[in-house]
Amino acid sequence: MTFGKSKLELKVGIFVFIGILILVVFVLLIGDFKNIFSTYKINFTFSFVNGVRVGAPVRFAGVDIGDIREVGIMPSSNGNNPKVRLVGWIKQDIKIPVDSSVWVNTLGLLGEKYIEIMPGKDAVNFIPYNGELSGNDPMATQEMGELAKSIAVKLDGVLVGVKDLSKNIDDGIERIKRQEGSLGKLIYGDKIYADLESLVSDIKAHPWKLFWKTKDKPQKK
Amino acid sequence: MKLKYTFHILGAKFISFIYFLGGLTYLTFQTFYQALKPPLKRRRIFEQAKKAGVDSLPIVSLISFFIGVIFAFQISYLMTRLGSEMYIASIVALSIVRELGPVITALVVAGRVGAAITAEIGSMQVTEQVDALSTLATNPIKYLVVPRFIALGLMLPILTLYADIVGILGGWLICVFKLGITSSMYWNIATEALRFKDLITGLSKTIVFGMLIALVSCYQGFNVEGGAEGVGKATTKSVVVSFILIIAFDCFFTALFYFIFP
Repeated sequence: MTFGKSKLELKVGIFVFIGILILVVFVLLIGDFKNIFSTYKINFTFSFVNGVRVGAPVRFAGVDIGDIREVGIMPSSNGNNPKVRLVGWIKQDIKIPVDSSVWVNTLGLLGEKYIEIMPGKDAVNFIPYNGELSGNDPMATQEMGELAKSIAVKLDGVLVGVKDLSKNIDDGIERIKRQEGSLGKLIYGDKIYADLESLVSDIKAHPWKLFWKTKDKPQKK
Repeated sequence: MKLKYTFHILGAKFISFIYFLGGLTYLTFQTFYQALKPPLKRRRIFEQAKKAGVDSLPIVSLISFFIGVIFAFQISYLMTRLGSEMYIASIVALSIVRELGPVITALVVAGRVGAAITAEIGSMQVTEQVDALSTLATNPIKYLVVPRFIALGLMLPILTLYADIVGILGGWLICVFKLGITSSMYWNIATEALRFKDLITGLSKTIVFGMLIALVSCYQGFNVEGGAEGVGKATTKSVVVSFILIIAFDCFFTALFYFIFP
């Protein structure tokens, strides 16, 4: 059996070669492998992560820079609650300032969770490989509900107060309209207007009255 | 009387199914044994590889391309209403690499190559060429089944790779020229959604599909009875059985990869 350079082998060879080429391209392009060589590890610690899963994206100032590869729970140590540790792999060329703040955020309409890093201002100290960044805990849905409830209760009280107040105001306005009290008489009563008009017409008719020195008069008398 | 007849038919069907299962298993073991026994007819494997792989490429590519186009169109109908056309890329890429690519390729190859294998071996069986091989001290399984088995098992994953890339290309065509998504964005989202596991599971099951097609087709070919009519019947049967087994195994693999070992 000769293993020659026949057309058959050439065709099969080309076919297989291009197939392998496609496989290599696929493997290199695929999400997992894109960042495998140029990433570094960062640990995020939270008390509560609201359902972050492995594969959740990590965003730095809103840009995708890596993903979460591990979600683990550290047992409680003296006096502290158990903490959640998220291991994220971040692109090598992204430097995260140590004073950056981290929290869990929600993405899109399906409610997928991701890690949001808001960059800090420190331009000298960056988080090293396997460094630690403790996050601001997101509020649990239940907690949020309770808070909303307490706010609603308080708001209700305030609203009752406002109602009383508006009732009083209504009352006052009603009385003013009925020309009760000095404000009512001022706004709705005709007496002051008539007085003013008579005063003005009087002055127009006898302007010299303005220069009348009333103070001297009684002395002369 | 009629009830008795029905049960008779059902029982006969069941027994023939058991026979089929046993025969197929026997053939599988024989094939593995013969494939692992040293002198391997490389020339015959190459011949079959060309028939199964290279010659199937145009039709597999064509079908996969159209599947990609159709899929992108169908999803775009829903996604444009939700305002998230961007995810079409990831849906097309994921479904083609995980399911459609492997299954469509396997079905096309079963229809194209499996039928040919059954017809070929079946007419050899009818004209007693298989018996002639035995008298010449050549094991018919080693000579006829093993090259097809190996060729299909090796060629189907490669064909699937072609189908995957062409299918994603079909989706790309629609997204870029119909929906106005930029080309780089399409590729970015498509590759971002894919995981290594998707590719590996998609390709590994096609190896099984390829072996399945070869075994079922050869089994049906060896079991041809009668003349030319029997060959026709066996060919039909081989394609039908291959289709059913491919879909059933695909269901099994999907459950295995994504639910039992997620």
